[in-house]
Amino acid sequence: MDDTRPPDGRTLVERFPRRGLTTDSGRVSTVTVPPREAATVPADGTLPPALAEPYPHELYTHQAAALSALSEGKNVCVSTSTASGKTHVYALRIARHLLESGVIAPDGSRTGDPSAGSTALCVYPMKALTKDQHEALEALYDALGLDVRVRVYDGDTPRASRREIRESADVVLTNFQALHVYLEHHDRWSRFYSAVDLIAIDESHTYTGVQGMHVAWILRRLRRVIEYWGGDPEYVLTSATIGNPAAHSAELLGEPVTVVDDDGSPRGPRDVVLWNPPPTEGPTDESVPDEPTTDPESASDSEEGVTDRVPASVEAPRVFGHLTARDVETLLFCPSRKLTELSVRRAAEHVRSEPHAYDAGTPPLEPYHAGLGKRTRHAREQAFKTGDVTGLATTSALELGIDIGSLEAAVLMGYPGQRQSFRQRIGRAGRGTERSLAVMIADHRTLDQYVVSNPEYLLETSVEDAVVDVSNDAVFARHLLCAADEIAIGTDDLDAFADADRLERAIEMWRRAGRLEGHPESAVHYVGPRRPQSRISVYGTDETEFRLELSDGVDRARWGLPEDVDLEPVGRNRAYRDYHEGAVRLHDGQQFEVVSVDETRRRPTIELAPVDVDYYTRTRSDVTVMDAESERHRTINGFELHFGRGTVLVHHHAYDRVSIDDSDPEEAAIPTGTPPISMDTQLCWVEVPEGIESALVRKYREYGVETGVDPDDPQPPHLGYVAGLHAAEHATIQTAPLELRVDKGDLGGLATLALDTHYAHRELEPLSETTDDSLAAAEHALRRRGRELDTTPSSGWFVYDGVEGGLGFARAIYDSFEALAERARDQLRDCECGRPNGCPACTFDENCGNDNRPLLRAAAIDTLDALLGERTPGSFDPERSASDSDSDSDSDSGDDRRPVVFYS
Amino acid sequence: MSTQDGRFVRLLSIPAAAAERLSAYAVDDAVSYFDPDGLLVPGERSPRGHATVRNAASARPAIHPQLGRADDGIEHVRFGPDGRRSEAAGPPSPGAIDLLAVHSGDVLAALGERLASGERSTGADAATYLFVPELSIEADTTALSADLPHAADVAAIADELPEPVVVLAGGQPAGYHHVWRLAGRDAKASVEVAVVGLGGGGPDGGEDRLAGVACTARGAAAAETVPPDSFGLRALEGVGPAIADRLGSLGCRTRGDVRNTAVSELAALEGLGREGAERLHAHAEVIASGEPLVLTNETPVRTRSGRPPLCLDVETDGLSPTIIWQFGVYDPAADAYRAFTERSTPTDPAGVLGEFIEWLLGTHADRTLLTWNGSGFDYPQIERFLRRHYPEYVDAWRDLWTYDLYQWAVRDGNALLPGRTNRLDDVARALGYERAASGLSGAQTAAAYRRFMRRPTDPAAEPDWERHEAYCRDDCEALYRVYDAIETADRRDVTDSGAGGAAGRQSGLTEF
Repeated sequence: MDDTRPPDGRTLVERFPRRGLTTDSGRVSTVTVPPREAATVPADGTLPPALAEPYPHELYTHQAAALSALSEGKNVCVSTSTASGKTHVYALRIARHLLESGVIAPDGSRTGDPSAGSTALCVYPMKALTKDQHEALEALYDALGLDVRVRVYDGDTPRASRREIRESADVVLTNFQALHVYLEHHDRWSRFYSAVDLIAIDESHTYTGVQGMHVAWILRRLRRVIEYWGGDPEYVLTSATIGNPAAHSAELLGEPVTVVDDDGSPRGPRDVVLWNPPPTEGPTDESVPDEPTTDPESASDSEEGVTDRVPASVEAPRVFGHLTARDVETLLFCPSRKLTELSVRRAAEHVRSEPHAYDAGTPPLEPYHAGLGKRTRHAREQAFKTGDVTGLATTSALELGIDIGSLEAAVLMGYPGQRQSFRQRIGRAGRGTERSLAVMIADHRTLDQYVVSNPEYLLETSVEDAVVDVSNDAVFARHLLCAADEIAIGTDDLDAFADADRLERAIEMWRRAGRLEGHPESAVHYVGPRRPQSRISVYGTDETEFRLELSDGVDRARWGLPEDVDLEPVGRNRAYRDYHEGAVRLHDGQQFEVVSVDETRRRPTIELAPVDVDYYTRTRSDVTVMDAESERHRTINGFELHFGRGTVLVHHHAYDRVSIDDSDPEEAAIPTGTPPISMDTQLCWVEVPEGIESALVRKYREYGVETGVDPDDPQPPHLGYVAGLHAAEHATIQTAPLELRVDKGDLGGLATLALDTHYAHRELEPLSETTDDSLAAAEHALRRRGRELDTTPSSGWFVYDGVEGGLGFARAIYDSFEALAERARDQLRDCECGRPNGCPACTFDENCGNDNRPLLRAAAIDTLDALLGERTPGSFDPERSASDSDSDSDSDSGDDRRPVVFYS
Repeated sequence: MSTQDGRFVRLLSIPAAAAERLSAYAVDDAVSYFDPDGLLVPGERSPRGHATVRNAASARPAIHPQLGRADDGIEHVRFGPDGRRSEAAGPPSPGAIDLLAVHSGDVLAALGERLASGERSTGADAATYLFVPELSIEADTTALSADLPHAADVAAIADELPEPVVVLAGGQPAGYHHVWRLAGRDAKASVEVAVVGLGGGGPDGGEDRLAGVACTARGAAAAETVPPDSFGLRALEGVGPAIADRLGSLGCRTRGDVRNTAVSELAALEGLGREGAERLHAHAEVIASGEPLVLTNETPVRTRSGRPPLCLDVETDGLSPTIIWQFGVYDPAADAYRAFTERSTPTDPAGVLGEFIEWLLGTHADRTLLTWNGSGFDYPQIERFLRRHYPEYVDAWRDLWTYDLYQWAVRDGNALLPGRTNRLDDVARALGYERAASGLSGAQTAAAYRRFMRRPTDPAAEPDWERHEAYCRDDCEALYRVYDAIETADRRDVTDSGAGGAAGRQSGLTEF
């Protein structure tokens, strides 16, 4: 047995102590990523001599390409691998501007010429990264012998030094939340903005969803301010590899961007081990309440198939311990702060329990996360660099480019949800061109199991598209107030800040509401309460954000809670769903109970207290869709796919307390006391063709309890089919992150037998105007509408954006529907649970409002197969031809009109 | 402006939520400050708030429609040409201004019918005001639209009545003014209705404010707003709700009581201290006497030439200016006023700015400039425009000696002023300065200029330049009056003063 360092995948698997478990090649697979040679060009071909001479390296080809494109006056998005020198692209470009403008003399000293000016703004997604990049930029400029003033300016910057930075820095590093606030006082920055030649947007792929929308508008506001002061900057975006760097960058910026993605940096060979933990034999005391999705029947059902496995939170620390005990420098990526701490203990336990395998004793390991405080974090970074610590168990805090020196192996506790993030994490391992190892321990969840069953997914060249959307009018309208406050809106803004018609409609709305005054032909001024910037929540799409706070009198020391418990505010829908009074939520592995919700305050506040209870809570929701209006549609193998807008009425009305041990409800249907929420939002929906529907209704007409419903519940002939639609709806949402950078928590769905009752009808009154936000009234109105309509109803399912105004997810799903459907179908088909209604790894959705029933895998697979053109109606029902089934499709139900039933 | 057109009824709006919090004395104080013809209580139904306001109103009407006695939910108050309340039941006398208060917006339809049927009548030669206590306008940002609730009913009333109709919206912030173009009965014609906010916090959850609304016979309504804590004991510097309560426990319910209490007694109050007590006592005296008091040994302005400062005021097109279109400078040494006004090309902010700065630097560089809140607005805006259009003058501008009297007196706490608010207007009025009645406010001036910006060649949109210059001059002269009053004011540093005498009165101003 060879002793390569780090071990390759095969060695790892062979040497790992199994404790009675056999080596199961089916559970563990290794993918080898081939090495890549460096592609470089001499620096003096691209850089001026004053930079090329002191620059200690050649340039990678992608760096040279990006610098050349910038010289041609283009905006650039550099989308290459981790550690490929993306920062140097903008750092060198900034240096060139400073030299050419005469701020810095050719000998690197400052000229002191007051008329010379060139500045640059670099924006980072988090403060820790800002600090790190500050050091990296200073180190580079030191190496180049250039006296460049690089300064961080954010919420932590002392008041006393702010003015000096504004008036004298060459390069300012900040984040978007801070920039959003500073734009109001842009006149204080006039020197900086009038001279700004470059804006760098680091890790731009992270700006998606709600946050992406806000960033897109902050950038548009920034551009107005810079134009006002006469600056004319070029933009450099650096991005991890995403599927759509050009489209994403252009949407963020609002102008075209040249993509440079031909990676010239070298990479050593890498083994990626995909590790599925062994099945559990029933409830174990090892299970950790981190992902409480265990199915109640897993213990009894495991004869049939695998319905549960040892959690990654237990298995991953063992692998981490194994590697570090062999002196392999390793990062373990954990989904929560608490798990970083637990993992260090579990890894040590694992090593101690196998004294024969690990003769060197327990390795030096430490947890690492943002809650530790700057000094501790810095000490651990240093200890890891020097080798005093062999392993760090970390949260995503070390996913982005914080410098911790090089390491040999990365272990991932669970699939991080995105290939981009997966690659970023495994990319942390590897010294230059040396061999490296990455291990992903899967959890029993849809995405993890998909990845384990389809390892080629990780290697496909295409990656998820980043979704950012500026069509949300609610978000646009609020940023418009900020823009007007910053600089009065004039005719120059028409078609520049936003499409003229849209801008004029928004101005008229705010004039009527008394927040703006004037017309674009003169000037539109903001006249509302001061500082409209402070009224925008970047966590939501309307002004209401719920703050999460620790309850007064919580003994932080007793619970081991840091001073700043990092609780991001939430929007209304999430607040009602996840933070009603009595809800128990996990934050960084700690259980918190919501003790009070105060909505009477100007900023509604949710108070949490840490608890240690043996249950979690699951919210029950009623959902319906009304007045859906199609804006775009297309046909896929007879299925009609739509994108549009409509009203979604959601009532998170009750919750269950569910035992963590056995997933049995301890107490069911406790009222939440929260009112229903009505959202005007973006929708995507699919209509199943009649022939497919009738064939599948017949095929699954005998299905009842198999769908998970109670034996006592009515089991109409449509049940099997609609359970299939419900499962297909869940699966398309669950697998959406395989194709798109979307957050499942912001998506919802509804499967229905009567789509047309949910549509807007030109000649009929909108239902949402008559139902007064009452679910009961809405359901009644839908049934009544079902009787009134003389259209032929069709069945299908909706996917909606769960925030007011929408955030572009449903539209992205519309655009990539075939690819999503294929992923969903594969996962449903390949899941090993062997249960008709599926399991948490295929059909279940933790946010299901109907307690994950009825669901039927087989019917969902058939439906998706038909959508993908792989099955025809006749193939479901060989006895009859498609034309027959068309003619009598409705007679099956024995009624003129099918029931108006729907499941979310 | 003819006398007929200038006639107005003055209404004081005290939002219910504010009325509930205010003491009876504070409401009395507000009533004596505004001296209104009638009081309105907008906002949610509040028996307590209504009772507080009604007690202070004495003979004036105090309307909180939700507690009105009328069966049909409509209260009708008529103000005769003399501004006095007159009989609303009979036929209107000439020139009567009608106020129709409805229980809620839902009653507007019935009101329209009664007006159409002649069951109720209004004076046709002066405007009619509709008071809707909880009316607010919400923006539907997802649909990018904002509609006036009950628009059709409002339009029907406006269509029916020959005189202008103005809606007083209880749920909109004071300062809200928007002319709605509503579809009339005849689908082709539209009808214009002005909606004016009465000081409720509005859908944004802003703060309630008291508003004195001048309702003219022509249907123009302008509001002067004041925060609720400007009245009663709260008017005194440093008095929040807690101190006000503690003063009550000492038997101090009015500012007069405070003046008659020994400083030593006040100083014993928790959270006040000796210095606070002295300021409090002095401020009660300042408000009562209308004389400012300087509290420190600081001087507000240093001058280089021994000549008084130049008093500066600017006019812009709004709070995020695209142009400073008027610079007014009053030189008290020469009693001369100079105005620089852009009257022809509103798109060119450089022209008038250049004239001003060259004149200033060329002929008055040795003088000191004085403004009211200039460091909050005028100075940074001037510098901002100079940076863009005359960067070569920025340094020279920065070398000028500029002072902000508001900052010095109020923000830096160097003086106590007798106004209820610290608006220049209010302070000058409290000092007895009678303004030339231009009838303009800063917001109206900006709006007038924006109309000109939209249609610079349309004579109808051209502002009355003389009137605007007179307004600006008035502000500059008012500033000088305040400056002068401070210069000659009693002066004393409360931090090193002696103790108040045993007989409370001795601790007042007489002691300095």
